[in-house]
Amino acid sequence: MRRSAVRDLLIGAVVLAALVLLPVLWPSKALIDFVIRGAALALFATSLNLLVGYGGLVSFGHGMFFGVGAYSFGLLMQRTGMPIPVAFVVTIVVTAAVALLVGAICVRLKEIYFAFLTLAFQMFLHSLIILWVPLTGGDQGLLGGIPRPPFFGIDLGDQRQLYIAACVLLVAGLLLMRHIVESPFGFTLRMIRDNAARTGFLGVEIFRIKLVAFVLAGVFAGIGGVIMSLFVSGAYPEFAYWTMSGEGIFMIMLGGITTFLGPTIGTVILLLLNDFVTRFTEHHGLMLGAIILLFALGLRRGITDFLVDHWRRTRTPAATRRGH
Amino acid sequence: MDLSSLANCLGSPACVVTQVTSGLIIGMLLFLVAAGLTLIFGVLKVINFTHGAFYMLGAYFALTIFQLTGSYVATLLGAALATALVGLAFERFFMSRVYGQNILMQLLVCYGFILIFDDSVKIIWGPEFKSMGMPSTFQVPPLFIAGGVVPPFYLFLVGVTVAIGIALWLVIERTRFGKTVRAAAHNPSMVSALGVNTGILYGLVFALGGLLAGFAGALAAPVRSLTPGMGFSILIESFIVTVIGGMGSIVGAFVGSLLIGLIRTFGSVGFPLFTEGLMYLFMVVVLIAKPTGLFGKEVA
Amino acid sequence: MTGNRKSRLDRRTLLKGTSAAAIGIIGAPLIARGQAKPIKIGMPTILSGRVAQLGASSRNGVMLEVEKVNAAGGLAGRPIEMVIRDSKGAPQEAARVARELVNSDGCEILIDAEASSGAFAVHEVARDLKVLCLHTNSETSSLTADPKLRIPNAFRVARQGIHDSIVGGGYAAKIAEAKKLTKWMTCSPDYAYGRDTTAQFIEYLKHFKKDIEVVGEAWPKLFQPDYTEVVTKILQTKPQAMYSCLWGGDLTSFIDQGNIYALFTQIETFAVNMADYTALTVVKNLPKGIHSGNRYIKTFPKTAANAAWGDAYRAKYKEYPTNWAWQNATVIQFLAAAAKKVNSADGAKLAEALRGLTIESPFGTDGKLTLRAEDQTLVGYAIGWGTTIPAEPYVPETTAGDWKQITELEAEWKKKNNYT
Repeated sequence: MRRSAVRDLLIGAVVLAALVLLPVLWPSKALIDFVIRGAALALFATSLNLLVGYGGLVSFGHGMFFGVGAYSFGLLMQRTGMPIPVAFVVTIVVTAAVALLVGAICVRLKEIYFAFLTLAFQMFLHSLIILWVPLTGGDQGLLGGIPRPPFFGIDLGDQRQLYIAACVLLVAGLLLMRHIVESPFGFTLRMIRDNAARTGFLGVEIFRIKLVAFVLAGVFAGIGGVIMSLFVSGAYPEFAYWTMSGEGIFMIMLGGITTFLGPTIGTVILLLLNDFVTRFTEHHGLMLGAIILLFALGLRRGITDFLVDHWRRTRTPAATRRGH
Repeated sequence: MDLSSLANCLGSPACVVTQVTSGLIIGMLLFLVAAGLTLIFGVLKVINFTHGAFYMLGAYFALTIFQLTGSYVATLLGAALATALVGLAFERFFMSRVYGQNILMQLLVCYGFILIFDDSVKIIWGPEFKSMGMPSTFQVPPLFIAGGVVPPFYLFLVGVTVAIGIALWLVIERTRFGKTVRAAAHNPSMVSALGVNTGILYGLVFALGGLLAGFAGALAAPVRSLTPGMGFSILIESFIVTVIGGMGSIVGAFVGSLLIGLIRTFGSVGFPLFTEGLMYLFMVVVLIAKPTGLFGKEVA
Repeated sequence: MTGNRKSRLDRRTLLKGTSAAAIGIIGAPLIARGQAKPIKIGMPTILSGRVAQLGASSRNGVMLEVEKVNAAGGLAGRPIEMVIRDSKGAPQEAARVARELVNSDGCEILIDAEASSGAFAVHEVARDLKVLCLHTNSETSSLTADPKLRIPNAFRVARQGIHDSIVGGGYAAKIAEAKKLTKWMTCSPDYAYGRDTTAQFIEYLKHFKKDIEVVGEAWPKLFQPDYTEVVTKILQTKPQAMYSCLWGGDLTSFIDQGNIYALFTQIETFAVNMADYTALTVVKNLPKGIHSGNRYIKTFPKTAANAAWGDAYRAKYKEYPTNWAWQNATVIQFLAAAAKKVNSADGAKLAEALRGLTIESPFGTDGKLTLRAEDQTLVGYAIGWGTTIPAEPYVPETTAGDWKQITELEAEWKKKNNYT
């Protein structure tokens, strides 16, 4: 356990160093933009997989926390003029509070009803954002840019510094989530996923575990939203729309839900698909649809799940055969 | 919020008649789509997210058939049948491969097809919006019933839909096919043990769903503009309807559609800026109070 | 069956893509030979979804003029190369595409052909990257009127909500006076453009005719498919006249559904976005006598130049031009004129030249269009109201708005909104 934590930290440090060095070796503004967006969405997708993959809680409304994160951060920066780190912390508190409230109602429900209820809450929140024009700007979103006063000598108005900040948040967020799923809490969560009734007999408070997972996932999604709001210098109702949740689901389904890094890889795949297919053809719906079908009907699972299965099968063919 | 208008409206019979009939009109089209959605879920435990795309295809088929034949009867039947075929093919060739898998995998297949259907419509019929136009039979002045205004076309629409609803209910409850369908919903392995080809049965259920959605699209074509992606909003609404009414229940879909129709019409008087939010709020309340929906049974 | 068709279409699209790429590869050196390097202009717009027509027709408008400019030697000797990309109508996607166009495709100028919320997102990108940005489709007044949003490198080459409302209010007040219409109702889409434009129209209607009473409002959602509850609400309220800024497919749905309630025979209707060919040609049973602002119509301004442009567009693309088409054609005309003036295609120099620039144009009220220096927005364009008939020429007569009056009232409006 300790050993694996140290290993994770080391991997994290190496990845972070590589990410920071990347634009030095390959100076491309497009690359910087890509990684910032990727960081925002990878945090979002991984946090969703905390629920779907580890908790067996299929949420259709996870985008709501991405939106809450983006809007609260953007509003705090525009309205209060507080320093960025303070606004960041307040945003986490706000997102956690919303997730606690919604989660307390939702996680009592089972399976698809949980999915429906999260979706309904998300759409309700989206209607509120659209309705509350004086605060949120309605359908126009938060206009006029999000101010980024420098703090500790860091200027997030500079895209390269924002890039580094996003990389730090991404790696730190992933490490924290990794720690969570490898902790006793994470194991309990998986036990509930596999057999809720039996876990209940062991005296585990299922409701509380699920709720904590829901709040944690919400917070990390919110951090993703903060990065995105800094990237586009605004917040839009689309962030809290069901399409956002849908995108999260596609990312984890493309990348794989049984490996920790699956969602991150899925994010990169979806972003690349989106960016390149739209460049290549105007009929990107047709292309993207065909590719999605290839995954769903061809691989029948996410790419990392497929690779892991494949690797296991080739390594221990006998064991697999016996298993059947 | 405009509660005084709402109170005024509820106090005036003419307003109540008009708003209730418009609630019926909105609700009945929704019911045709939602009925297929709930039927497919009831039997196959699959949420067919492409159902909105079926509705869109029905409307575009209607546009073309009406331009070719000029007959609205031929349009309704042709569009419904063509969409039923699409539903059948979609189930046999694609959806049937992901039964028993993660619900998210089914969602993925459906999403892929929504993209493909939307783009195909854009390529075949063009990106601009279209309008089919009102068949000449219905180009007549509206009727006045109890002080409320009712256009003949909508009278036809509601009449046909209610008839279809009753027919559907009779088929499910009274015929052999219906019995098999209900049995399959309950225990698929037993049905196949009795020698019923469940593959064909599932295909037929999807075809029936497509038939209803296509018919709804053809009914909507004279009054709603056609665009690629038009199936999306009706998908969301019929989804709400089935959740409120209870997934798998035809009666639930009927009641849910009416409720949503009435929320829309009376909501637009009382809460003009928040009718959408009202629908989601209602869905939240129903799900908390009775997760299986008003008429739903616990899903095994 | 479905599978077959899909793969065939895929292949066809692929083929189309490759052949286009091949032409690009072979074609580019030919153009470049003996000439300066092409100037790339990036254009984020909406090419998919419900408003794909906006992108398609904006692209047509741009390309029609780009061909002419390139045939005449390009922008200060540099041929224009358009890079047009789909944002799917999502603002964050519009921002992303705009950044990518500049940062990785090397575009030196942005033509922002987004609808409003996307336009504000691209505006922020322009602020950040300091690239010359020309908004061609957003009609939301605050985009250029609000000094807090203003940046020296962004211009609007499009009509504007406040102008339409002033002219519309004046026109409607005259009709209201003649026909004694005092009880009004509004029915507009519930989003920023709809709310702002409607409030402004009513404000100017009341400005020109004091005894107007608004007896009700209906706010359908954007892209709402069914307007039954809206139509019946209007019938219940029984106004004498109605204003609507619904547009495109929403407007045609509303008209189709209002028709079967005989709505338009009972109520004098002012629909600012009716007189656009996209709507006029789609509605099968267009009611007679709906009042509308001009969007793009061949008969207004009634000049040979305008009619010729409309015909040329139609001949080339086999469809009618739209309001988006003329605005995007105009932006290229402005760029060409500015490049000629400073003999350069450099963004900062072009911006300097564009500020206050006046060009000859078929779309100007007096054959001229100006990018007003103070707020970097288009003025002098043909703006007027008329009534529709169900067949060509659709709007036989249009009453032109008076730009002197528009400018005065607009200045007052800005003062009231603290926009000065």
